[in-house]
Parts: sequence; C-alpha cells; structure tokens
Amino acid sequence: MADHIIEVKDLVKTYKVGEIVTPVLKGINMHVKRGEWIAIMGRSGAGKSTLMYQMSLLDDPTSGEVIINGRKTHTLLDKEKVRMRLYTFGYVFQDYALMPELTAIENIVLPLLMEKKSTAHAYKLAADALDKVGLGHRLHNLPSQLSGGEQQRVSIARAIAETPAILFADEPTANLDRESSRQIMDIFSDLHKEGQTIIMVTHEAEYGDLAGRIIVLDDGQIVEKGEGKRHK
Amino acid sequence: MFSWLNIRIGWFLAVRQLRRASKWTTSLIVFVMVLTFLNLVVVSGILVGLIQGAVHAVQEKYLSDVIVSPLSDKDFIENSVNILALARSLPEVEAATPRFRKGIQIEANYKTRNEGDKANMAGAQLVGIDLASEKIITNLSENIIEGSFLESGDYDQVVLGHYLLKQYLPIESPAFTTLEDVHPGSKVRLRIGHAIREVTVKGILKTKVDEVSMSAFMLDAQVRGLIGRDIDNLSEIAIKLKKGADPVQVRDELLLRGMGEYAKIQTFEEGQPKFLKDMIKTFDLLGAGFSSIGLVVASITIFIVIFINALTRRKFIGILKGIGIDGHAIEISYIFQSIFYAVLGSVIGLVLVYAVLIPFFEAHPIDFPFSDGILVAPLNATLGRVALLVFTTLIAGYIPAWMIVRKNTLDSILGRE
Repeated sequence: MADHIIEVKDLVKTYKVGEIVTPVLKGINMHVKRGEWIAIMGRSGAGKSTLMYQMSLLDDPTSGEVIINGRKTHTLLDKEKVRMRLYTFGYVFQDYALMPELTAIENIVLPLLMEKKSTAHAYKLAADALDKVGLGHRLHNLPSQLSGGEQQRVSIARAIAETPAILFADEPTANLDRESSRQIMDIFSDLHKEGQTIIMVTHEAEYGDLAGRIIVLDDGQIVEKGEGKRHK
Repeated sequence: MFSWLNIRIGWFLAVRQLRRASKWTTSLIVFVMVLTFLNLVVVSGILVGLIQGAVHAVQEKYLSDVIVSPLSDKDFIENSVNILALARSLPEVEAATPRFRKGIQIEANYKTRNEGDKANMAGAQLVGIDLASEKIITNLSENIIEGSFLESGDYDQVVLGHYLLKQYLPIESPAFTTLEDVHPGSKVRLRIGHAIREVTVKGILKTKVDEVSMSAFMLDAQVRGLIGRDIDNLSEIAIKLKKGADPVQVRDELLLRGMGEYAKIQTFEEGQPKFLKDMIKTFDLLGAGFSSIGLVVASITIFIVIFINALTRRKFIGILKGIGIDGHAIEISYIFQSIFYAVLGSVIGLVLVYAVLIPFFEAHPIDFPFSDGILVAPLNATLGRVALLVFTTLIAGYIPAWMIVRKNTLDSILGRE
C-alpha cells in the first residue's frame, strides 16, 4: 500500500449547468505506484483530462477520494493544495502554458522562487533543467521565439526542475508535429528511467504504448487496464 | 497577503510584464496618468493662483509684508515718527514707507460745464507718498500707463489710478462715477472736506489692486498740508522685509517695543481682506471637486486597463495558480504595475509642473482683470496629491486583478466561465 503514490477511490465528478447534470467520472478506482508511468487514454469526452485534474488537485471531485502519499486530499485546505501542487507535482499542459513575457529560464525560475529558493539557486536549477531537455542554448528566448516543440520542452523543464514526486502531462504532444512529439516522448522515457512517476493523458495510442500501464476510459468509467506494448 | 515571498514573486512578474509590454500601451496609460496628475494639481492651482495673484498684487503694490495702521478708534497713527524710525532700524526691514491718506472728491468738468450741468465728480483716496521709500516698496512708477510719475519737488501734481477715469472703467452707475476726458495735463479739482485745490494730472497708473487704482497720489509733504496733519500723524506705514525675514517676528518686535499702544500692527497675512482668504478656500475646494472627477476618470482607466489585461491573461493566471504560485503574488504583480503607471505619470507631471508650468506662469501670468493669475502648487500639497493618485490607482489596479485571480483555477486554465 505504501508503494502507491496515488490512490483513487470511488471518484465521481459531475458538472451541473443550470438544471442539466452531466456525469463525467462515474466511480473511478485506481492507484499509481511510485515510479510508474501511466497513460490515461480514451476517446474525446471520455473523462481522461477530468480524471487527471482530480488527481492533480486542480479540481475537486463531487465525491470519492484522492489520496496522495497516503494523505486524503479532500480534507486539505486550498492553501495546502496550492503547496502540494507547488512542491509535489509537476505539470505539462497541452498548449505549453508558458508565460509569454517571461523568457524560457524565467518561466522555470518563477515556481522555484515561490519555493523560496534563492535567485542564484533558482537560475542554476532552471538552467540545468533546460539543459536536460536540450534547450541549454535557448535560456533567454521568449516563448514567442521558440517552436512549439521547444516550448513544450521548456514546459517539461519547468515541471521537472525540482524533481516533483508526480509529473502530470495533459496531451503533451497534441499540438506538436511528429518529430517534436517524438522528442517529448524521449524525454518522458528518460525521466521514467530515472524513476519519475508520470501520469500522462493522451489519445495517441503510439505514445500511450510507451507507458508502463495504460488505463482506458470510456463514458467516465475505466473500461480497460493493461501494460503498454513496449513493456510487454 | 503581503508576505515577503508574495512581494518578491509579484515584483518578479510585474517587472517583466512591464518591460515586455507594448511600449505604445504603456505610453498611453502613463499619458493618462500625467493628464490626471495635471488635472489634480493644475486645475486647483490655477483657480487658487487666480486669487493668489490678486493677493500677491496687494502685497506688492499696497500692503507689503507688515502694515501699520491706525487703531480702530483713531483717524491716524499716533507717535508715527517713532514707529517709522523703529521699523527702519530693525535688521530684518528693507524699507518702511509712510503714507497719508484721506477720502476726497475729484472734480473734472468744472471749467467747461454750464450752469445747471451736473459736476463730473469721482470719489477717491488721496494718498501722500514718500517717493524714495515708496519706490523700494511698491515701485508704482513702473505702473504708469500715461504721462509720468511724480518726482521730487512736484507741487500741485497728481497721479491718478486708472479706475478713476471713464476711458479705463466705462461703467455707468448712480453709485459710482468716473472722470470723463481726463488725461495727463488736465486740470482737476480736489475737494478735501470744504477745501478745494486745483491740481494738474501728471500721470495715470494702472495696477490690479483696487485700493491703488482708485487712489490719487501726490507727494506726502503737500498732502500733509492739504489734509491738515503733522508729520507724526501718518495714515499707514508699509514695511517691506528683507528676503527670508519672518513678518511675524518683525510684528512681534514692534509690539514688544510698545508700538501696539499707538497703532494696529499686522502681518500681510493678517491684514489682507477676509474675503480673499475665503475665496482662496472656496477655489481650493472647487479645484478639489474638479480634480476628484479627474481622479475618478483615472481610477476607471486603470481599472479597465488592468481588468482587460488580467482578463486576456486569465488562462495564464490560472496556470500560475495551477503550478503553485500564490494568487496574492499575482495580485501584487498588478498592484506594482498600477503603482508604476501612477508614479511614472506623477514624476513626469511633477517635472512638467515645477520645471515648466510654474516658471512659465510666473514669467507670463494669465491676465485676469483683477489679478495676474499664476499657478500655485505648494510642494507638500502636490506630494499629497501624488500619494492620493498612487493610492487610488493601486486600489483601481488591485480590484480587477483580485476579481480575475479569485476565479476557479481550472476554469481559468480551460477558459470556462
């Protein structure tokens, strides 16, 4: 049990707009082991991203529990959730989510400063992270001066700069060309080899197969669990 | 909210957002702040300056820094010679000028009118002046607009204030008459009580001080004789102080030496008419009213600018919150930006006001009928307005940022309402 970094129990999420209630997650039960790479897959509207948002504390479930490192998160105060997002999680979003007026290195430095790192230490960690994703020569470029693939690599560098316990990635290759997507997946593979826990939402089977485990959602329920093909 | 960490992050974000913002947008916002600052300072400054100009004129052309006048139950200052000598002996005093003053009637058409015609008369104050000391204090000779000023040895020569003449004050009122067709060289009669004296108009002077412009000036020696006073019975003594000297100190010195027993001794501030003080207060209030409208406009401008900025960046704000940046730090970044706009606008405004506008208006006062309007902007009051502008802008910047930052993080990231 202690090996589970995330446990999800009877997770339900419904959205209510006026009188219309839309159930998106219908009682999800799953767990994630430390160091595991999980791909959450499914067709559009299946609830993949919603599940990730619940697990990454970006959203609150309607009912059920998300337990992170043995801690029940529904009892956490907002402040504690923010701290957990800062110190425990790393995020990679589909559209890179970089601050347009910050350079590549500044985008990474910002959360490190929030972690009370000294400026010099933050810049050192940020430069190392960018180096790790192959962008050591693009430290001072603004996002607008980078290609989509480069921006996503900056986004990954931001997420891993302080080695988070869990890396969440929401459709990280959806906006990228094949070559850039491959580079991103190579980085994820390297991180996984180093023991990084990764939870990745994707609808691309090719990249889902790179994960150690695949969870397939349909209509808000897990319909299939299995290993990625390359791990068989 | 204002933890050191949040301030640090807020500063980090604000500096970079400002540095990489559109220069045109930034310039436009700063321009609005400059206009707001000018509205805050200049509108009330001109309104007050309008009256202050009149006050300055009264001080410069009439009362000077300390004025000695008769006690309320006396017609003249007793012991005048000693008071004058004492005033002149004080180290802070640059000059003191004695004046004799008497209400008279001036008649103009006595040579040409037919029997039964109405006499062309005007009421005036006849003022006897000492040329040498009056030159230091009021330098009235520079206000001559026709003819010439009095000179030593002039006898039966008078200089008239321009409000006594119809060509300068063409009003028809049963309560107020002016002299018609009187110019330098014209003969006029002075009616002093029952005595009549024919004199020649030597010059006409124009000031923006009613008391001066409605007076007739002659040399003090002759006026003394005409009104039947001796040298120890002056009507007033105007005292001009050296630069930096304190009028209160001089007044107190004169009072300390017992002069208050013979005369009323007042600083210029005390001696100026109450209605002027009231007008200054009223205009200050009016100016503050107009300025507050400007302040509201500036607040709304900043509110809209920050609101649009925060709204268009809502997704990024959501992402920042999502990756663990404290929402207060994001709000503080907008506060810093608002302060930047307000401070930069105010600094430019301060430079404009103190380096350009005030020197300009001092060199080229606005020519109002009753004063030379200047721009009055005391530094303390101006800095107070800067503080007000910065504070208002800060609030106007904070509120929209708070409105956007408080929205649900995931909704912001996904652009959902």
